[in-house]
Amino acid sequence: MNRPTDPVTSTALASPAVTRAALFGLTRLRRSTRTERREWLLAFVLLLPALTMLALFVAYPFARGIRLGMLDSVVGREGQFIGIQNYIKLWYDSIFQRTAQNTFIYTACATFLKLSLGMLVALMLNNLIGFKRLLRASMLLPWIVPTVLSTLAWKWMFDPTFSIVNWILYHLGFIQVRVDWLGGPVAAITSVILVNVWRGMPFFAITLLAGLQTINPDIHEAAAIDGANAWQRFWRVTWPLLMPVTMVVVLFSVIQTFADFQLVYILTGGGPANSTHLFATYAYQIGIATGKLGEGAAASLAMFPVLFLVVLFQLWYIRRGEGGKGGA
Amino acid sequence: MAAVSSGGWRRWFYLYLPLGAIVILTLFPFYYMAVTAVRPDREMYIPWNRPNFAPFWTLRPTLEHFALLFRETLFARWLVNTLFIALMSTGISLFCGLLAAYALARLRFPLGGALGTGIFVTYLVPQTLLFLPLGEVIRSFRLGDTPWALILTYPTFLIPFCTWLMMGYFRTIPRELEECAQIDGATRLQAMVRIVFPVAMPGILSAGIFAFTLSWNEFIYALVFLSSATQKTIPVGVVSELVRGDTFFWGPLMAGALLGSVPVAFIYSFFVEQYVSAMTGAVKG
Amino acid sequence: MAEQRRGTSGKRWTSVPRRTFLKAAAASAGAAALGGMPGILHAGLAPAYPKGTKLHLLQWLNFVPAGDKVFLAQAEEFAKQMGVEVTVERIGMGDIRTRTTAAIEAKSGPDIILIPNNLPHLYADGLADVSDICEALGKEQGGFYDLARANAFAGRRWIAVPQFVYSWAWNYREDWLKEAGWTKFPETWDEFREMGKKLKAMGRPIGQAFGHSENDPNNYVYALVWGFGGYEVEKDGKTVVLDKKGTLEAIKYNTALWKEALDESGLSWDDASNNRAFLAGSMSVTGNSPSIYFVARDKFPDVFKVINHAPMPKGPAGQFYQLPTLSSAVMKYSKNQKLAKEFIRWYMAKPQYEKWFEVMGTFAIPPTKVWYDHPVWTRDPKLTVFRDVIKDARQIGYAGPPGRKASEALAKYIVVDMFVKAIQGDKPEVALKWATDELKKIYGT
Repeated sequence: MNRPTDPVTSTALASPAVTRAALFGLTRLRRSTRTERREWLLAFVLLLPALTMLALFVAYPFARGIRLGMLDSVVGREGQFIGIQNYIKLWYDSIFQRTAQNTFIYTACATFLKLSLGMLVALMLNNLIGFKRLLRASMLLPWIVPTVLSTLAWKWMFDPTFSIVNWILYHLGFIQVRVDWLGGPVAAITSVILVNVWRGMPFFAITLLAGLQTINPDIHEAAAIDGANAWQRFWRVTWPLLMPVTMVVVLFSVIQTFADFQLVYILTGGGPANSTHLFATYAYQIGIATGKLGEGAAASLAMFPVLFLVVLFQLWYIRRGEGGKGGA
Repeated sequence: MAAVSSGGWRRWFYLYLPLGAIVILTLFPFYYMAVTAVRPDREMYIPWNRPNFAPFWTLRPTLEHFALLFRETLFARWLVNTLFIALMSTGISLFCGLLAAYALARLRFPLGGALGTGIFVTYLVPQTLLFLPLGEVIRSFRLGDTPWALILTYPTFLIPFCTWLMMGYFRTIPRELEECAQIDGATRLQAMVRIVFPVAMPGILSAGIFAFTLSWNEFIYALVFLSSATQKTIPVGVVSELVRGDTFFWGPLMAGALLGSVPVAFIYSFFVEQYVSAMTGAVKG
Repeated sequence: MAEQRRGTSGKRWTSVPRRTFLKAAAASAGAAALGGMPGILHAGLAPAYPKGTKLHLLQWLNFVPAGDKVFLAQAEEFAKQMGVEVTVERIGMGDIRTRTTAAIEAKSGPDIILIPNNLPHLYADGLADVSDICEALGKEQGGFYDLARANAFAGRRWIAVPQFVYSWAWNYREDWLKEAGWTKFPETWDEFREMGKKLKAMGRPIGQAFGHSENDPNNYVYALVWGFGGYEVEKDGKTVVLDKKGTLEAIKYNTALWKEALDESGLSWDDASNNRAFLAGSMSVTGNSPSIYFVARDKFPDVFKVINHAPMPKGPAGQFYQLPTLSSAVMKYSKNQKLAKEFIRWYMAKPQYEKWFEVMGTFAIPPTKVWYDHPVWTRDPKLTVFRDVIKDARQIGYAGPPGRKASEALAKYIVVDMFVKAIQGDKPEVALKWATDELKKIYGT
């Protein structure tokens, strides 16, 4: 399909506002350096509160965490420096390998499903005439209940002896015998993904809906007059215009999903046979349950570079998108 | 989107049916929570494959689980705590995030891009790594077992989020708006506060909503940094009070989940409307 | 709100708020009540603790609410006597580790923590020496059981005071076993399997959890491995010997049992699943503490009548149990260690402990032997079996010392997952090799 940055499309879509902004950009070039210095000062003042908070409550503990990852500390005993041995140990740890694999599958599947379902719901809600308010509010419910509690509800719904899900599927004729939702290795990770999608989809839907409402209907009309069908209009008009919002939502969702903890902790505890362990739950298990703080820190940190790469890529993509739209 | 032509069966087929299905699927767990919350305990011992398993209703609804929640636990107190903590930390994060986002999106200064990425990266630092070293920080500030332990630590994952969300919105606001104001004689700061922030209201609201939700949900920090029952938040309070040894009190658990979300849902229903319409207005205007 | 203690008027659930602030006017109440205090307080001495001293105890959320009530009342009494403030905080069992770790690392938190299993060894460096209490207690109460001692004694010093051991037995439906032709619970694993086959054919299988949860899965899998003659590591705590014929036999046995006799949803079960399923009548046998029996007594009179309990079947190597323990540890960072110890002495002393033990029913096995002949065990003959299980209990990581490495193997669910892998279709040899390799990594050979 068409790339969102297709030059023809983006020129066609550039709103008059953007063009005007570009004109102002030219004026800006002639500004004096004194203004720039003042900007620099203002920026510093504006950034100060955020940076102070982050330095105190993230940077410092993070540095301690990195150090901890290179010690052989166990709880209550300051460890010796052992370099990257914790990481080497994890690399060869079969449970850790499984964990890494689970995390990637979990993140990829859940994000894909959340995006496509969320987009679908946003499009449909955008088209709806009545009930909008009610639907929007109710769609948000899964996102609002504290995760721990809604996950407990799912645990109850999946309980092999009392499963409502089994009851429904059985009476609809989809299954003959009960499904052990959290028992099989594939079933368990699927169930965990489903719960994550259930929880996270509203975030996508509502934010994308907000994005959709900013799109000028005239553009659609113009495209329709040009003979584009619904599918084409979505891919050539809506999708590229929604791209910035989409990327931000996906970005945050990927991070949250990748580092997910509560859901698995409550639903399966990583079982059966480690088939649902994620980085966070396994790191927690090592660090807290076995008291190997150094190794646990290393396991927590192991997800960092991966996330970092994913995020760098997405940030680059977002910025590139902005450049393509002809802004600054 | 115009995937659906107006009127007729097509509208039903492409819009109402699938939307209805998704809404039902999304809301079903809530319905089930609600039914469980009013179901007498005895009925919760009926396996799914028994003929008298009645999943969708109960003939003898009871309020005993709710009564238990308020009589035997400090649920009302937890609700207040959670609200207070979530509101405060959201407020702090919005303040910090808004200012930072404006600087990063609008001002030119050395290392701006790097700082932006830097702030974002803090969002990636896993909580499972942070909570132990953070414990030391909390102790040295003597904040243990006070709401401030959470109010000050939640912004660590809220600020990056707010900053980045707001940066996105600021970028969608044409620079000409504030430049016009500046030409009219306003200072940069005035232009920011009077022109840009109001226009960015939908963005601020959405950042606020999601920041609020994240703090509403948080579990590990709340578990580790608070110890008095009177200080606890809903997730930690409900779980540790109602999962006893090898017995789950499903009725009160679900009642707690429900009560812990419905009031917020109500507030949200108002804000979401604001959020979407404000955004639409901002673009049109 | 929390300060207010709630009435005890016949509520089904618990009448005790999670935490109770116990405040007492130091001077008046303390002095007046001193005369009534047995042994542990030196008569005539005024309380040696400054007014406003606070003691904070962190405990698991007791399954038996009545036990909590008694404990809280005792704490209140102690607070009054000593003229101090005692806070009892209770949280879920699984979260105790998190809190303990965080507290030790931050060097602040509760003064006393009730630590499960052999975890005191994990936290040994952060725990104060309580040898004086334990030695006196042992002398006074007929000595500690091996299991209790193993979990709280670290080579030269006691690092915690064992409070109790969870009891465990097979819970079974007498009526359904009779229908299947078993008037007596089987005594060997082979008979157990025969019985299970019949029961499952009748649609009432045996229920056993294999998920990642603290108690039930481990109770069973360790007992099985030991019964068939396998064990994890030699006495030196280094040589991993899991890869033995006994272990392999246990895996094969269990895999067959899974298909023939077990409820095939156990892979996702946690500690709570079997309680509810058993009471719901969807299975006829499951291993558990008497918590099922107690709930049945209160809520399911018809089930209550037909439940009985039985010990672990014998395997070729014998009959063994893995049982969780809870021990009170005084934290090294605590500034009130003396008072904390005083408090432990107080609630472990015979008069107080007996009251608590009686309401706990047979759920708690006392760590010392003096309680063996207590009428609690024989009041209800269906519960007597819980008394003896501790004699054949082995510590985690048998035959090695119960230390950090043993906890790691336990916390990673290696033995449980070995069985799960076989159930999921791995060859028993492959599952065994996986587990052995994992253990070798832990024990460093």
